[in-house]
Amino acid sequence: MITLVKQEIYKLLHKKSTLILTVIQLIIMIGTAILIKSKSNLFDPTSAILDGFGGLMWSLFVLIAAAASIIAMEFQHGTIKELLYRRYYRGQILISKWLTIFLYSLYYYVMTFVVALLLKIALFNSAFKFTAIYANNMSYLKIMFLGFLGSFLTLWLLLSLVFLLANIFKSNGAAITVGIVGYFATNLISGVMFLLMNKWEWLKWNPFNMMNLSTQLLEPTAKTMTLLSTQQMVIGNLVYLVIFLALGYFVFQRRNV
Amino acid sequence: MKAILGLFSWESGQVVIQGQPVTMTSHRVLDEVGALIEYPGLYPFLTGYQHLELFANDGPQKQARIQQIIETLKIDSYINQKAKNYSLGMKQKLGIALALLNDPQLVILDEPMNGLDPQATKDLRDLIISQAKKGTTFLISSHILSELEKIVDEVVVLDQGKIIKQAKMADLSIAGQKFILLKTDDNVKAAEALQAAGYQLEVIKDQLKIEQSESNELAKLIKLLSAQQINLVDVAHQQNDLETSLLNILGKHEQDSQVKE
Repeated sequence: MITLVKQEIYKLLHKKSTLILTVIQLIIMIGTAILIKSKSNLFDPTSAILDGFGGLMWSLFVLIAAAASIIAMEFQHGTIKELLYRRYYRGQILISKWLTIFLYSLYYYVMTFVVALLLKIALFNSAFKFTAIYANNMSYLKIMFLGFLGSFLTLWLLLSLVFLLANIFKSNGAAITVGIVGYFATNLISGVMFLLMNKWEWLKWNPFNMMNLSTQLLEPTAKTMTLLSTQQMVIGNLVYLVIFLALGYFVFQRRNV
Repeated sequence: MKAILGLFSWESGQVVIQGQPVTMTSHRVLDEVGALIEYPGLYPFLTGYQHLELFANDGPQKQARIQQIIETLKIDSYINQKAKNYSLGMKQKLGIALALLNDPQLVILDEPMNGLDPQATKDLRDLIISQAKKGTTFLISSHILSELEKIVDEVVVLDQGKIIKQAKMADLSIAGQKFILLKTDDNVKAAEALQAAGYQLEVIKDQLKIEQSESNELAKLIKLLSAQQINLVDVAHQQNDLETSLLNILGKHEQDSQVKE
């Protein structure tokens, strides 16, 4: 399994886009920070810092695209045959890809977190102290960490769906679209969804509601809308993650290539 | 071929290599198998060398094996270019290199001569023969029978997914008859003389076609003709090749199945 993950990482690192995307990530974060600094009368730096200066949003796009292409590219280039007719179990091939994207997502989140901290210290040192209380009896640092954690969990809910779709359609276009639309749809439909949930309470278990986890981690009162405790949401996210991954596994195991 | 490699599901029966079963999800024994199916699957963003590095089994001999296969297939001139710039023949050669890379005991090649120039075709043929002598088994599918004929020991003929003939090459050739083609200065007289001596013959254009049943057939024929004062102008041999044998087998199979229906 370690060999397989190493091979996936080897491929990932030899793609030109991997380096370019990281550079773009840094440019976006530094650019946002400088913009906010120069127009400090217009923007409040606090929320930007807590969102990683736009880095979290960019990470999400990059990781959705990476998850779709790590599966779809093998079908596109015909390399799936070479991957499969080796001594490894078929399931191992897919799991190695999940693990690779997991490591890749950790890399992006840790990088975003660290760079955001550094930018805060370099440009907005006087704005607030990380240890000071921000809201709900939580320090700035804790809020930022929880925000990243919630974003990470919901990202993986989306990624598990992207893995499944890339497996079914064998093309990254469809999978990426659904992943990104899924992300924005949560914001768009949440108003309607909360209304419907008031009528039929069981609807609170739908996956779009689970996407509100980050909001609720930062703002515990959100549970009057989501109708779920934070713990229930974490578990809900994980359950959907497992369901989508298992479906993808099932499809992959039976696919004729 | 795809079923042997665990890529495709099948309805009945089982695939066993060296006594170990192969299924779609579990196939440890494929460690001993190398393959090139349909077209070589390559990552456009990797160079040829990186492909070999990626798929080579780990071990102390890794680099040596990669160098060895590059030399054997003569692909060193473009091995450090990215695969997206490769021509069909270059891709095919890299695909074959990948199939042979980990010294497999069984190599499955699907139309390996695709896109190769004449020199490369000959090189590949020599390579297959030399590897086969070292003990590697090759399973090759091809529609280019003249190429196949030069390398194979045993033939399996498939028609509509069913095996209709499995035989050693030597047996097939014996099944295919040998003929002597004679050209004389008086074919009419020669034909009469031969028929009188009990030969079955066929007149094709200006040649007489006689089945060779003994090895000294030709000597007998020459004696017979010279006794009649007929001069030989040209002698040629004809042997049924793989193509003719196969077409015969397929033709027979079709007739048989029609009779059954």
